[in-house]
Amino acid sequence: MKDKILKYDTLIIFLLLLIISSVVSPSFLTGENISNLLRQNAPIGLVSLGMLLVILTGGIDLSVGSIVAFAGVAFALLSYEVYFGAGFILVLIGGILIGATSGYLVAFRRITPFIATLALMTIVRGLAYLLSKGAPITVGSHSSAILYLGTGTILGVPVSAIILFVIFGLAYVMLRYHVFGRHIIAVGSNEEAVRLSGISVERTKFLVYTIAGFLTALAGLMTVGRTGVGTPNIGVGLELDAIAAVVIGGASLMGGKGSVVNTLLGVLILGMIGNIMNLMDVTAYMQQVVKGLIIIVAVLFQKNK
Amino acid sequence: MLQLENITKSFGGVKALRGVTLDVRAGEIHALLGENGAGKSTLMKVISGAHQPDSGSIVMNGETIVHNDPHTAQRHGISIIYQEFSLVPGLSVAENIYLGKNTSKWMQWQKINQQASGLIQSLGFEIDVTRQVSALSVAEQQVVEIAKALTTDVRLLILDEPSAVLGTQEVQKLFSLLRNLRDNGVAIIYISHHLDELQTLSDRITVLKDGKTVATIQTGTADKDQLVNLMVGRELSQMYPPKPATRLFDEQIEISDLASKNASTPLSFAVRRGEILGIGGLVGAGRTEALENLFGLHGKVGTRISTGCYTYQPSSPRKAIQQGWGMVPEDRKRYGGLLSLSIAQNISIANLAQVSNRWGFIDPRKEEQVTRTLIDRLQVKLGAKDDPLSSLSGGNQQKVILAKWLNRDLKVLLIDEPTRGVDVGARAGIYRIIQDLADQGVYVLMVSSDMEELMGLSDRILVLRDGRLQGVLERADFTEENILKLAIAST
Repeated sequence: MKDKILKYDTLIIFLLLLIISSVVSPSFLTGENISNLLRQNAPIGLVSLGMLLVILTGGIDLSVGSIVAFAGVAFALLSYEVYFGAGFILVLIGGILIGATSGYLVAFRRITPFIATLALMTIVRGLAYLLSKGAPITVGSHSSAILYLGTGTILGVPVSAIILFVIFGLAYVMLRYHVFGRHIIAVGSNEEAVRLSGISVERTKFLVYTIAGFLTALAGLMTVGRTGVGTPNIGVGLELDAIAAVVIGGASLMGGKGSVVNTLLGVLILGMIGNIMNLMDVTAYMQQVVKGLIIIVAVLFQKNK
Repeated sequence: MLQLENITKSFGGVKALRGVTLDVRAGEIHALLGENGAGKSTLMKVISGAHQPDSGSIVMNGETIVHNDPHTAQRHGISIIYQEFSLVPGLSVAENIYLGKNTSKWMQWQKINQQASGLIQSLGFEIDVTRQVSALSVAEQQVVEIAKALTTDVRLLILDEPSAVLGTQEVQKLFSLLRNLRDNGVAIIYISHHLDELQTLSDRITVLKDGKTVATIQTGTADKDQLVNLMVGRELSQMYPPKPATRLFDEQIEISDLASKNASTPLSFAVRRGEILGIGGLVGAGRTEALENLFGLHGKVGTRISTGCYTYQPSSPRKAIQQGWGMVPEDRKRYGGLLSLSIAQNISIANLAQVSNRWGFIDPRKEEQVTRTLIDRLQVKLGAKDDPLSSLSGGNQQKVILAKWLNRDLKVLLIDEPTRGVDVGARAGIYRIIQDLADQGVYVLMVSSDMEELMGLSDRILVLRDGRLQGVLERADFTEENILKLAIAST
């Protein structure tokens, strides 16, 4: 029994919060609020997934918040120059290139992930400010289709939530059943052993940061899609939220241990705390305190394993 | 000075100790012998106060200890040195020795360094105490560890497998140090798998088996076979598998220009198919480096390998694996195993292509099937099949790491210290696996610091010193003296 509780600890925290939220606020468990909750948290969910992959290899990616801002600004600017589809793809390629740069520095030049991505975080944030000259940019009307990504629904379900779930599903299958997923987990467990097994540790790490860059750029596009504005100062501290979600999901920052499902739950747990406190008119300052406390509780809970 | 009477200790349903009686006298070296899982570590933790016994009595210096904890144990002068050192790598020798023992708030460097230096000298060693511990050899670290223990008023010193990481010469130095301490009235409990060592070093030997004391004997009253018999109920002569009567294969691999530690003198030698080529020498002779270079771990370093049909230059592990080479490294925890991953995942990692389809998706049933076959073949003892590798004993971990290579079409096996940290019972199993591989036509190169193992398992022994090839011994010439003569510099 005790083993079962510990095995599903993240799920239990999630369900407890769900029950508490439904009880304290009647407006919590309404279709509109749940849609809203998912829509708000879809971008951070994608970012957290990228973060999970990086953390599984024993690394960290601090540049995600900057990439989200950069993607938004870049898309808004491109909307005046090229067609929607071209802008969309160019931004994704941009995210991939930024991620690949981190990956190159970490994997092939052996720079500590914290330092490499710290540098990228500063550079990319700076680029976002340079491109936008420091001011928010409204997306051009040709490209207003982006709003569909952020606010549209299919059969009442937010498009962004559908994308989120599909990508999480793909990641789940990849980590569990695909050779590449096995490489990722193995690298985090023991890099040297993996090297001796004839697997390229460098390639694995490089790809993981690249994928994180892609997912983060997609999250950036979703964020623009919610407001129709590319903002250079958005996403500050996002990396910490993503790390928090991954850690609440039971991952080890040392690598080799972590779960896609639990990371999604971690994102939703953090999202629900924000959501329910908004519904109850708790100030944003107080929300930060409570979020911090939840992280401590979740991690202490897992420590007892 | 220390009497344990009928100590028992259970963890959950597992009885680790079922009645241990041990009597350690001041001024003796008391060896503790037993297979892994016999309860040695648990017993040590009971003595040092890390665990509470469920029943039984502990008497130290005539005082019955009702509740033992690390603090009480320390007060009674008990100090323990674990296999994994507790030194801080980034601090100097002197800082490590006096860590946590400063009486004044400010560091009095000169005084601390002088004291530390004096202490190390009194142990018969020369180590610059201002050097960082990370720059020391393992043997030197061991000395620092002992020096650290001696800064307290130690009356009982416990050492857990201290010689596992040391070369022959260093072991001799350690022994004279321990004898010195003994002659000054310190009681020493010495845990080891090496029967030879125990017989030269100890005064009395206590054998543990399945959590119980089997016997305490005066050293010298039982020979090796009898000791092994007490430990496992088996004769030593059954330890090494028999060699085939005739050579089974004719081919050989020529290895030339194998870069060694000493770059000016690359190694060249041949390995015969179906033989186990032992590589002997002292720690630091370049044995491990030789294996690593053969496997391409340090990139292309000019080594040429030629068989009858092709030549090949090692450049990366991946290339080596494609050529049918496999390597079992020396340090399982650091290089060999994916400790947090399951046994199946550890076995399939070197050959994921075999258990996945062309799009790279792994078939869990296939993976399980492959694993099951190998586990049965190697007789790995495991709990649940999804348990992580870390849940297995050292011997079974080693079998899993071997299994990973058997999962491929293995042509050459490089194996470094095949049974380090593996108990006697499991050793025989590993030796048989290696011999079987050789009999099936695998070229085996084995590095070992364990003389008995080296001589018991090898068909020929190649001895290195300072990265140079000193000679090759045929099986008829295997004696410890012959190997040491080549391994130690003759001036």
